[in-house]
Amino acid sequence: MSSGQNSGGLMSSAGLVRYFDAEDRNAIRVDPKTVVAFGILFGVGIQLLNIVAL
Amino acid sequence: MGWKEAAEPVLTRMPSVVRPEGHVPFRRKLGWTAGILVLYFFLTNVTLFGLGTETGDFYGQFRSILAGSQGSILQLGIGPIVTASIVLQLLGGADLLGLDTNDPRDQILYQGLQKVLVLVMICLTGIPMVFASNFLPASQQLANTLPGGTFGVQSLIFAQIAMGAILILFMDEIVSKWGVGSGIGLFIIAGVSQQLVAGLFAWQGLGNVSGFFPTWFGILTGSVEMPSLLTAEGIQALFMGPGQLLALVTTVLIFAVVVYAESVRVEIPLSHARVKGARGRFPVKLIYASVLPMILVRALQANIQFLGRILASQLENMPAWLGTYGQNGNPTGGLFYYFAPIQSPGDWMWWTAQTTAEAWQVLIRVGIDLTFMVIGGAIFAVFWVETTGMGPEATARQIQNSGMQIPGFRRNPQVIEKVMERYIPQVTVIGGALVGVLAVAANMLGTIGAVSGTGLLLTVSITYKLYEEIAEEQLMEMHPMMRQMFGGGGN
Repeated sequence: MSSGQNSGGLMSSAGLVRYFDAEDRNAIRVDPKTVVAFGILFGVGIQLLNIVAL
Repeated sequence: MGWKEAAEPVLTRMPSVVRPEGHVPFRRKLGWTAGILVLYFFLTNVTLFGLGTETGDFYGQFRSILAGSQGSILQLGIGPIVTASIVLQLLGGADLLGLDTNDPRDQILYQGLQKVLVLVMICLTGIPMVFASNFLPASQQLANTLPGGTFGVQSLIFAQIAMGAILILFMDEIVSKWGVGSGIGLFIIAGVSQQLVAGLFAWQGLGNVSGFFPTWFGILTGSVEMPSLLTAEGIQALFMGPGQLLALVTTVLIFAVVVYAESVRVEIPLSHARVKGARGRFPVKLIYASVLPMILVRALQANIQFLGRILASQLENMPAWLGTYGQNGNPTGGLFYYFAPIQSPGDWMWWTAQTTAEAWQVLIRVGIDLTFMVIGGAIFAVFWVETTGMGPEATARQIQNSGMQIPGFRRNPQVIEKVMERYIPQVTVIGGALVGVLAVAANMLGTIGAVSGTGLLLTVSITYKLYEEIAEEQLMEMHPMMRQMFGGGGN
């Protein structure tokens, strides 16, 4: 069952990048909230730099 | 010792987004997808720090396929991901990788390899873009005050676009794991839809372009000057000039053709081996490999054009047979002109004033574009089917594992594979080539909002897929039993 959902699937609309279930113990795991928070901070940070410098 | 063992320590340590534990309710999935979409739009509006006066879009007309936006943090868009995917598809399709995607160990390596390749592509496209072309000029004002000078500012710009591209990669991963569909598809839809809506409704006050409806309002009330309809100029203005009737027809036509083509399929009947009366069908769609391989072919063309632009800005006097460039950085002659795909009606309608090329030049260019798209489309579709496990062997195994069989045949994966082999390879090649022809035709006729035809084609098809996925998702939400039948959905 574990490979069923990720091996393309019967009706899957796989994206260009494929993600599997399998994960290595060593892999660094990131919480999706961290990514979103970083994205927002990064964007706001650059905006602020633009306002301060120009 | 192969490359796998050597690269393993790096590939297994690539950071990845956590998978949700247990089933994610549909509403939460939509929430994540919408959240990422908002973040994407926000980031496309953040201007790069230290950017001087721009001279044009580096991606040019390829922008609608590659997402992102010129001069923003998301300058690179999904370009690096697509280019990395081309490399992976070619390596995987030719079976040079030696990775078996059914083996968990190899799955981890494959995932890691994808990310490493994207990082490599960020450098390969980003560095020439920032340091060797003038599409992202460093601000001189800032260079004078910063210790690093121009090089320092350029490095800052590169760091920002690299960060943006990495963010896109992780945003795609979040949508794939926590949301609906894939991030790549979402970003393409977002960009094209925005342009399409603007092309329909934008009025003069918003920018310098007037959309379809405001223009027609102007024509009907007489505020937009139109030549008499009884003359040739009048007819031309109606269809291709301000009237945009040709673009409207093409836009509607693309919608209709794609939705129709998506529904054309060969259905292989299935019945359950043990549960009598449980029947199913395995659809082999005309566009079996989906339209995603089309992005790869277009991106290949895009990369050839980038090479031309970088060469043109680096070589003092580029030989004319290789390429000559016009004012806005578009090729006007030489090899790179012929390799540039047709992007709008103005590119090939030699009888209008929009192009200076001769009829025979245009014909050669259309011929090369068509050949490239048809053959490329077929090849990438075959590779796509091979690498994503949609080939006869993989589908036969899946059908067998789900407990289904083809009525009238022995319950045996080899037998199912034989039947599948009658349809899948042929349909894949025909579908891939057909999408190629459609993409070229759509580009030639032009669309509302100057979205490239290929962009619109991708958008309609991806949206259709998304709709199917949402429908399936809702079905599972209502009947938790279905989750097992569809084989997953997170458990």
